[in-house]
Amino acid sequence: MAEPSPVSRCARAATAKEAAYRIDYPLAYARSTRVVAFDDEAARTVRAVMDEPWGQAQFYSAPGPGHELLTVAGEARPLAGELADSDSVIMVATNRVNAEAVATVGAAAQVRAIMTAGLLMADEDGLTGETFMAIRPYARILLAPADQDDLVELLRAIRA
Amino acid sequence: MLRPDINDLLTQTGPGTPMGELFRRYWQPVLHTDELPEDGCPPVRVKILSERLIAVRTPEGEYGLMDEFCAHRGVSLWFGRVEEGGIRCPYHGWKYAADGQAIDVPSELNNSEFCKNVKLRSYPLVKVGDLLWSYLGDPAKQPPLPEWEFATVPSEQTFTSKRFQECNWLQALEGGIDSSHVTWLHGGGPNGDGLEADPLFAGARGNQYNKGDLKPYFEIVERDGGLLIGARRNAEEGHYYWRVTPWVLPNFTMVPPRGDHSLHGHFWVPIDDENCWAWSFDYHPVRPLTAAERDAMKGGAGVHSKNVPGTYRPVANKDNDYLIDREKQRTGEWFSGVEGIAIQDSSLQESMGPIVDRTKERLVATDVGIIKARQKLRRAAEALRDYGTEPLGNRPAHQRIRSVAVVLPADQSFVEGSGEAFDARPGVAQTSV
Ligand code: FES
Ligand SMILES: [Fe+2]
Repeated sequence: MAEPSPVSRCARAATAKEAAYRIDYPLAYARSTRVVAFDDEAARTVRAVMDEPWGQAQFYSAPGPGHELLTVAGEARPLAGELADSDSVIMVATNRVNAEAVATVGAAAQVRAIMTAGLLMADEDGLTGETFMAIRPYARILLAPADQDDLVELLRAIRA
Repeated sequence: MLRPDINDLLTQTGPGTPMGELFRRYWQPVLHTDELPEDGCPPVRVKILSERLIAVRTPEGEYGLMDEFCAHRGVSLWFGRVEEGGIRCPYHGWKYAADGQAIDVPSELNNSEFCKNVKLRSYPLVKVGDLLWSYLGDPAKQPPLPEWEFATVPSEQTFTSKRFQECNWLQALEGGIDSSHVTWLHGGGPNGDGLEADPLFAGARGNQYNKGDLKPYFEIVERDGGLLIGARRNAEEGHYYWRVTPWVLPNFTMVPPRGDHSLHGHFWVPIDDENCWAWSFDYHPVRPLTAAERDAMKGGAGVHSKNVPGTYRPVANKDNDYLIDREKQRTGEWFSGVEGIAIQDSSLQESMGPIVDRTKERLVATDVGIIKARQKLRRAAEALRDYGTEPLGNRPAHQRIRSVAVVLPADQSFVEGSGEAFDARPGVAQTSV
């Protein structure tokens, strides 16, 4: 047995008193979160949350094959450039999901080791097998069904 | 990251707090029946939801749970004499029935008249399965007795242990929901065979899928009364292997099963805001536990712990640095160097401090399950506080639930694909690979 150590050198330091010495400094925002809507319905949800004062989050929709993302201002930007310094992509979709664009964006995120999460908004009939098939291979984690509040809470939690 | 006021709301469970009031709408496990082993046995101190109580079993066999302190001058009734019909304070002899009603105050001339106005706060204490349960809320709102399957199968099919955990209940619960730590902490990461080494998990076909695919994908689905957290791995061509953890509000989780091994899970019960009980159960829906299984559980295998004899404090605890073995950590035999699932969890959760400051966390997208569970807890507590909304999870329909391990075609929702597998059905075996 080693000689007796001060409390802060052993597991007994897990007291409220010692916890107060956890050093305090501002946490950086997430590097950059990209929120991408994969159909019109999803785009409405994304537009509804984007006005909060986010850190560095950027919001898009992904029409066509997905090689270009559309900013909310309607500007087309090449996918590769938008992913360049991102660390997570949040994919938002409904049953009308543009599967081709999901595959493009998802694969691009995968090769860059960017974390992906999917939020699937259900309609009255729930979510179809095709919707799951479209997004499952590309979203590390899926919340299904999800709603607008879930998107807001996720973005807040990861300091987007 | 969580706002400080929300962290307070979720972690404080004393009387009058929103989360405390939420907990007071649920039956909670309080004692193992072994702790009050026979009629007229000594009373037991109980602290739950920041209330100090005393549990008694009268010579007539009646259970009671009441304010620990005598109404006269505040002596702990733990020193009390259990007598016919109740417990008597040894200081001046005031005596209370199992429901806390004073029934004898020897110093008073008009004894019975005086007693009428003296009643200790008390709560029901009811045996369901091998546990004694209490409900600390408004009697008018008392839900039906709990019907968790582990407590309703015959005694020979079930085993429950408990251990003292020195941190807030939410930290412990979040460990139960956070499936992404399992591969690392308990599985040993890329080189480990942590799970195969445990007699209560070994030999299941599912273990091979686990090993074959170390980076599961997750899916979180709401279910009445809580969440289902599915971890998905590749199985045979066109199929996924799913391990699904149910969480039922506020503090019940189950671990996905392996092969024909028993099902297991936990209750994370607040003692006060800085300590909780980790109740751990194992049961098989259709067969008695074998002697070997029971011995392994008693010995601290699986989700159970080796406790200091005569106590519920684990042998490996924060006073001895959880007996961490740096050599085993280095070789990867135990990924964190700490032995056993229960202590692997408690060592890390306690290390976060009694109430972790969630404003300093750095959650990532894969923490969606935790984010969603916090959202549901907060909403349930606020709805109860602001509108008196009855919470979910406190009725039998939400409690008849099982964890599941299953292989399904790739396009199936794990909920639909599993059919009735999540429903506890008496006499029907669990769905497990
Ligand atoms: S890696 Fe999760 S708490 Fe450190
Ligand atoms: Fe764990």
